[in-house]
Amino acid sequence: MIHVDRLTKSFQDKKRGVVHALDHVSFEVKDREIFGLLGPNGAGKTTCLRLLATILKPTEGTAQVSGADIVRSPEMVRRQIGFLSGDMGSYARLTPREVLNFFGKLNGLEGLKLKQRIDEMVETFDFGEYANTKIDKLSTGMKQKVAIARTVLHDPPILILDEPSAGLDVPTARLIENFILKAKASGKSILFSTHVMEEAEYLCDRIGVVHQGRLKAMGTMDELRESTGKLRLREIFLDLLEMSEKAQGARI
Amino acid sequence: MNVKISAAVYQKELLEIFRDKRTMISMVVVPLVAIPLMFNLINRFMSSREKEAEGESMTVGVLGADKIPTVVEALKAAGFQPVVKDDLRAAVEKKEVAAAVEETQDPSGEKHINIYVDRTRQASELAGDKIRTAVDKLKMDTVRASLRGSGVSEKILTPFTATRVNVASEKKMSGLVFGSALGYIVILLMFTGAMYPAIDMTAGEKERRTLEAVLSSPAGRNEIVLGKIAATATAAFITALLTLGSMAYSFRFAPQASRAQEAFHITPPDMPTMLLVLVTVLPTAIVAASLMVAIALFAKSYKEGQSYLTPIVMLAAFPAVVGMLPGLELTPALALIPIFNVCQLIKEIFLGEFSRVAYGVAFAANLAYAAIAYLVASRLFKSESVLFRV
Repeated sequence: MIHVDRLTKSFQDKKRGVVHALDHVSFEVKDREIFGLLGPNGAGKTTCLRLLATILKPTEGTAQVSGADIVRSPEMVRRQIGFLSGDMGSYARLTPREVLNFFGKLNGLEGLKLKQRIDEMVETFDFGEYANTKIDKLSTGMKQKVAIARTVLHDPPILILDEPSAGLDVPTARLIENFILKAKASGKSILFSTHVMEEAEYLCDRIGVVHQGRLKAMGTMDELRESTGKLRLREIFLDLLEMSEKAQGARI
Repeated sequence: MNVKISAAVYQKELLEIFRDKRTMISMVVVPLVAIPLMFNLINRFMSSREKEAEGESMTVGVLGADKIPTVVEALKAAGFQPVVKDDLRAAVEKKEVAAAVEETQDPSGEKHINIYVDRTRQASELAGDKIRTAVDKLKMDTVRASLRGSGVSEKILTPFTATRVNVASEKKMSGLVFGSALGYIVILLMFTGAMYPAIDMTAGEKERRTLEAVLSSPAGRNEIVLGKIAATATAAFITALLTLGSMAYSFRFAPQASRAQEAFHITPPDMPTMLLVLVTVLPTAIVAASLMVAIALFAKSYKEGQSYLTPIVMLAAFPAVVGMLPGLELTPALALIPIFNVCQLIKEIFLGEFSRVAYGVAFAANLAYAAIAYLVASRLFKSESVLFRV
């Protein structure tokens, strides 16, 4: 469903010169698969997901999302995806119904179809009377539900989720986990980034570890255990980071 | 270009605008409350100052009533209250009297009457004018008495009279008063009305982290920016509409409006004039919206957006001030200057004598500026360095 090919993003920084936020990263997300991008802060996870959501343009390399190229057909790509970021805000002055109406229209839904889909979302996410309450009056959990509903409103085959549970309490984070599992069960492919080891271990079919803009390792939990000789993802992750830093030190 | 997407963005932005207190204050409260209040306060202030001036202006300083008895009598007859003062100049300066009068004589024996006034004070100016009238009357009475004594007809003094006749209609006089100030006020408030929505839907969206969700939707950047500019232009236009309506109301119905009308010989503008003014300001509303959306895009936060756009409002006010100056006429060349051209057109529309050629040039130029500003905003909206500061 997602085929990433040597994807690279470089920025010009006044102090640091050219910075490679993402450096020739290649991986694949298969049909009905949950693929986790794991990495410390600043590793390049968000840049990678923003590139795949066509919010940013790559400096080099490309990717195909459901067959559409992110450089040549960005609009086609955006029709196939639902994008959610953990630090995304919400339209505080609008109600959940108004937000869904807006994003439904942006995704080409209209008329009766849009109304039916909004009603489905209101029921699925149990908004009840809150469907017509301004979002700034809602709890964090309810706000997160609105964000999720907005992401899946147009029923995209692919979900791109950037640290979707960052900063959430355990019950709200659980809401996200259930959403991801349900999405997989309904036939969607999910690419999501996190730095929460337990979450990645629990949810992901395969994991890619990113550090300093490069993909350091990729595979199922069993494959990662085999290649590193470690049991828990936390140990595997730290081992990979250590190896990466040693290798960089040796290069310097 | 999918117009439905732009329409969706437009609807959503309008909904947010109408629920934002800051925007509602600049867009609705200022024109609807502040303008009538301002008119009322100015009226009250002017009328109280006039009364004060009238009271004060009836005192006049003299060195001694016995020194210039005929002049003092003439002043008393004109309603003045002569007050004896030693230093006339100081008495006027210290506001002890509104004005002062003294008589001097040059070596040839010719008499002079000096009237001391402080021209920075309305009461003193008013008193000076009245004293001059009283003294002129005294002079004429003296001449008439001499002529009567020598048997010459008084008619010799007035071989003819000169009267100034104002050919401008009351509507034109009103246009002069309205048109000069209105362009400036409408432009200033229109830019202020556009400022908060422009910041809210650009820097505000960045700050609240809602922009990414829109950017990751199938909506194209051109379509998004068109919806945002249209919503900002609507806010600017609503501000202009309410400002015009509020000013017309203030002149027509507000307390003391009749006094102002009487004083300036003005009538409130009629509906066709108001509609033409609204059509005239429309392209400028789009220019203001595009410009402000484009600039506010550079800001990361609402506060930063305010600091970027406040100077723009001031810059916009400058050509508007120039447009207030009397004596300027809108030539086709001057019609190319943005903002100034609208102010000048508003003035000429109210005077009822605008040139259709200049109007066409100004309207087309403003539409072209609006299109350029939209293209710039669209381009900036596609720039990663502007949107994400990368």
